[in-house]
Amino acid sequence: MNLYQPYLMGIEAITEETSDIRTYKLQFKDSKVADDFQFSAGQFGEYSVFGEGESTFCIASPPTRKGYIECSVKACGKVTHAMRRLGVGDTLGFRGPYGNSFPLEMMKGHSVVFVAGGIGLAPVRSVIWNVLDLRDQFKDVTIVYGARTVGDLVYKRELEEWAKREDVKLWQAVDPGGQTPEWKGEIAFVPMLLEKAAPSATDAFAVVCGPPIMIKFTLPVLAKLGFPDDRIYTTLENRMKCGIGKCGRCNIGPVYVCKDGPVFTAAQIRGLPQDF
Amino acid sequence: MSELSELAQKLLGDGSVKVVIGYEEGPRGVRPVFVTDPAQAGKLIFDTRCVQNLAAYLNPRRQHVTKLGKAAVVVKGCDARAVAGLIRECQFKRDDVVIIAVRCGGVVRDPAKSPELSIETVADRCAGCEVREPKLFDHLIGTLPPRPPQSSQREDKIAELVAMTPAERWAFWSDHFERCIRCNACREVCPMCFCVQCTADKSRPQWIESSPTPQGNRAWQIMRILHQAGRCVDCLECERACPADIPLGLIAKYVAQAVERRFDYKTCDDPLIPAPMGSFSTDDEQEFIQ
Amino acid sequence: MPKMVSQSALMVSPLDLAALVINLVLANVRVIAPVLAKDNPEQTDYLPIRGLEDAVLGGPLPRRSLKEFFLPASEVLLRYRQGKKDVEVEEVRTTFPPQVILGARPCDAAGIEVLDRVMGWDYRDELWFGRREATTIVSLACPGVDACCFCTAVGLGPDSTKGSDVLLVPVEKGYLAQAITAKGEALLNREPMEELSVDAAGVDKAEALWKLAREKAPENLPPIPPTMPEWLAKNFNDNFWNSIALRCHGCGACAALCPTCHCFDIVDEHESYKQGVRRRNWDSCQTAKFTMHASNYNPRKTQIERFRQRVMHKFSIYPRRFGAILCTGCGRCSRGCPAGMNLPEVLGQLVQLAAAEPQGGSQ
Repeated sequence: MNLYQPYLMGIEAITEETSDIRTYKLQFKDSKVADDFQFSAGQFGEYSVFGEGESTFCIASPPTRKGYIECSVKACGKVTHAMRRLGVGDTLGFRGPYGNSFPLEMMKGHSVVFVAGGIGLAPVRSVIWNVLDLRDQFKDVTIVYGARTVGDLVYKRELEEWAKREDVKLWQAVDPGGQTPEWKGEIAFVPMLLEKAAPSATDAFAVVCGPPIMIKFTLPVLAKLGFPDDRIYTTLENRMKCGIGKCGRCNIGPVYVCKDGPVFTAAQIRGLPQDF
Repeated sequence: MSELSELAQKLLGDGSVKVVIGYEEGPRGVRPVFVTDPAQAGKLIFDTRCVQNLAAYLNPRRQHVTKLGKAAVVVKGCDARAVAGLIRECQFKRDDVVIIAVRCGGVVRDPAKSPELSIETVADRCAGCEVREPKLFDHLIGTLPPRPPQSSQREDKIAELVAMTPAERWAFWSDHFERCIRCNACREVCPMCFCVQCTADKSRPQWIESSPTPQGNRAWQIMRILHQAGRCVDCLECERACPADIPLGLIAKYVAQAVERRFDYKTCDDPLIPAPMGSFSTDDEQEFIQ
Repeated sequence: MPKMVSQSALMVSPLDLAALVINLVLANVRVIAPVLAKDNPEQTDYLPIRGLEDAVLGGPLPRRSLKEFFLPASEVLLRYRQGKKDVEVEEVRTTFPPQVILGARPCDAAGIEVLDRVMGWDYRDELWFGRREATTIVSLACPGVDACCFCTAVGLGPDSTKGSDVLLVPVEKGYLAQAITAKGEALLNREPMEELSVDAAGVDKAEALWKLAREKAPENLPPIPPTMPEWLAKNFNDNFWNSIALRCHGCGACAALCPTCHCFDIVDEHESYKQGVRRRNWDSCQTAKFTMHASNYNPRKTQIERFRQRVMHKFSIYPRRFGAILCTGCGRCSRGCPAGMNLPEVLGQLVQLAAAEPQGGSQ
């Protein structure tokens, strides 16, 4: 099997997260692969709709859950719209896991602050569940999450679960104007929500993901709270094709997002040339 | 200093334009140059090697050029047709560009070779030229040289094509198009290919395969030349740029002749005269509607 | 400078070479050599031959590089067939029939070796290496340079053996043949080559011939200093980039002709309602949509950024990561560019800029 050949995956379940975002739960058709498959939180794959093409998504499920993987997909272009035409039982392709991952081992014994916006919660969710599945190996867990409107919040069921947990501090918000009459969370942009939450930076790592504008305003808040650049982790994305460093497409200056990333520290990102 | 350089220096010096797009002597013959500093106006030259069609640089999508500011462009009579075409198709207004037209006696096919004009070296587009004295200009410079050598090479090749049976012609072009690697150089150098998103680049739906396979290549080449019908100015930059040496000039001229027969129209340098594909007349022939 | 050819080189007459070609062709080994272009007798292309008389060894540099024999312009990665819910995927082969490339130019052979590094980076590209394993490259030392060549500037030369299995050096009565690799030795052990003898005297004559070619090449561009990759990385934002690429059309002809440009696209194509293929096709960082996101955001919006990427990838990113410049100085990009972009000129300007700085660089 050559390295461009995908694993065949069956769609086991589809969750409608928002009007344009779905989460697909995928089972490996080959049970041997299902048993052996391993990955780390933060890694991604090239998912294919045969006949339409491949697209890059992170693996949104945690590595602590075996036998299946999940991805959350926003309908944006050719392949993602084609995915919407698929239903439970249909077949996708998957190549992966590719890229580097969040440093879970290094984060053990420390607190973790998760900051996410919109669909940016997808790659972060893999780390959240990885941490929660090993909860006693971490100190404080804080989740700061916001979206434009109530309808745009993803993983709503899991947000409810996390809200109920004693060992997780969850802050949720929608942008001003995005609330519904029943909304009980905060009304603020994510960086402002983070300021309000003011999690301690002592012995803590930050994991951040969201739209570029959110990241731009979140990083200064984290700095003010005392998080050093090399303890703030985020994921970058770029247009990809092969995912394995050969097609020459995803580099940001000297760094290949598919090989040196997609997980980077804020310190590494500051050192990158303006090529993204 | 030459008439051209003096004019450029004046236009840049008094601020009427921010850049003069012209020709210079490069390491390998004549090539386009962008002069923004009046002191550099001496770089501008014009001779028989100035074959490039500089109108392509006026494409409003080329932000790195448009951000330099208002441009003056050096054109030959044939290139002026491309400027007129861009104005006709509303890519910019007549006042947005300063046209420096040069009286021309023909150019050679290869700007990297000798400037000597002969039947063998003259560019195909010079055959039958009627615009040696350009009519679209803000400034008209140079003295009118004699007519270029008239080569019938292209006409002869087209006559051969016309004499073929459809099957032979299909085989002729399929053979050439097989070499196409879909690099899209033909499209990028063409002044009239200015679409923000080319039909061939659309993926929803994928009208034309992007892979360099025989059927995809045929679809691409045929579609491109049909999109050029009545618009192509016959500068043959596409043929010069093609790294696979496909004789794109033959197919361009063939289609232009068909447009002339059908609509009595040749691409011209008057932006106010509408092109057949961008307009209609109530007495257009409709014999194909049965 | 080490001697171009070792004292153990075999003396090969044109008849011997012709016999080798026949031998290979009869054994169903494809032989590829420069051949006169059908549409233009002043040019050559690398094409399959049936006999040595079809080939033009030592003629003009073939229009396209050897890249397409290892990374085809379009290549099927898999075939799929849709069932009701299921999909069947058919693998493509990763072993290939043997072939010999005869009369490769050293700049083209070197390009293949340079590409081995990215193709083997962590993930081994079996399609590339399958073709590599099946191919023996016989280079012919380059007879001369023109104003666009700069192989010596990138650490190569008209007699470079990088990427070659056998090097042929033209001499008065034929060629001196020297095995560079085990594969090359195996070829020279084939009939009738194994009966040929060594020619020590011929080696000295060859040296005299090539001294001239070696001296001429650096006139176009002196060797690029080893500090260039770092300097380029530090000077990403230099103003130089804003003026150098104005005339570039972003047409991608340079990438198509280049022996080391390897960027590719992966697309799916229907062949019928139920089945189709996934292909990889040549692509180029010079095109506008190369880095276009589905959201319509493009990190490299204009030709300025895209041309900078080309130079950076070849002369900074690739050397820093893989230890080799992603360029062999063949000059095709400059010869083929319709807008007169000239890589020796650009590199010369960059070297001057770097030399003019006291230390460090703009940021």
